Amino acid sequence: MTLRPGSLTFLIIAITAFGTPGLSYAQPAPKQVFVYIDSVMAADTNEGTDPRLGPMDKKLRGLFGFSTYSLIGHNEGQTDCGKMIAFTLPGGKILHVQPRAIDNDMIAMEIVLFDGTRPMMTTDLKLKNNGTLIVGGPRYEQGMMIISIGASTGGVSPPMQAQVVGTPAEANTH
Amino acid sequence: MAECGEISMMLGAFEDSELEPNEMQEVAFHLARCESCTGILADYSTLGRDLRSIAAEPSLAGFSSAVIARVDRLPQPVFTRIARFLRRQADSVGTGFAWSGAVAAVAVMTIILMTPYARQFANRGANSTTAIATAEHEAAPAANQVAQATANEPTMADNDSHADISRLESENHSVAVWSEPRRDTTVIWLPDQP
Repeated sequence: MTLRPGSLTFLIIAITAFGTPGLSYAQPAPKQVFVYIDSVMAADTNEGTDPRLGPMDKKLRGLFGFSTYSLIGHNEGQTDCGKMIAFTLPGGKILHVQPRAIDNDMIAMEIVLFDGTRPMMTTDLKLKNNGTLIVGGPRYEQGMMIISIGASTGGVSPPMQAQVVGTPAEANTH
Repeated sequence: MAECGEISMMLGAFEDSELEPNEMQEVAFHLARCESCTGILADYSTLGRDLRSIAAEPSLAGFSSAVIARVDRLPQPVFTRIARFLRRQADSVGTGFAWSGAVAAVAVMTIILMTPYARQFANRGANSTTAIATAEHEAAPAANQVAQATANEPTMADNDSHADISRLESENHSVAVWSEPRRDTTVIWLPDQP
């Protein structure tokens, strides 16, 4: 039997199109996403760094030039892909995080930051697993508020996050 | 009415149906009234039939194939031979292109469907640019502290960012976005409006 190039192309494309999705998605992907939120007040009041910030201290100093960093809240929670999780943050801020998908080592999510009921920022992004997104800038007391948002598929707190032990009582785990 | 002398000159052609329609009509009109010319025409007819009966018809069996074979044996002009050679080569190359196209199509489909890694790799180069571009106002002057601390740091535009921001909406007109890849961190800075 002679197989013409056109026929062969069609055959291979058909096999590729219908045969490979099973291979591509054969590996079970974790569906749960753990979200860690640290709320930090940064100011220029020369009071140093809150020891509860732990490894965050070095990172914050590398990113910003404030002289005071104080942990004002810690939240964490886990949710499924497609389900939004809400966090109440200090200063009347509310944070909605909705993981959308897990693509290899990236977590796609939508984040909405509210100031009360007013949405301050909406973003769609893919965050690296155990990576951190920092949203900062809003005024808080005598300084500014820095919100560290970490996400992980393994349930292990990213190294950036503050030490949970000793967090203020008002920063409840969600 | 035409004279017999004129008509007799056309009788042979009349017999062979070679006259113009008006001449055929004129001869036929004359023959209807002239026995002499009718007799001459009868002689022509008899003579024609006799000649056809004694002439042998050559056989045409195999004639066309013999002609084609002889044409093929004729020496072909150089340009014709070159054109024929090139046409054969073009057919072969066309087949090669078809195979190449088939293989390329399969490769592309395989890459798209089977390797999300490839997609991630392809997107990686554009990620940082997208993140910056989607910010409503990129790299606007943030707080002085931020600028001082990050002035020498790599930016999202030239590093392997750890967050791919595809959409960023804010009422704030001074949004700044940058990345600190060594710490797996991306920063969105939203200073309060004065």
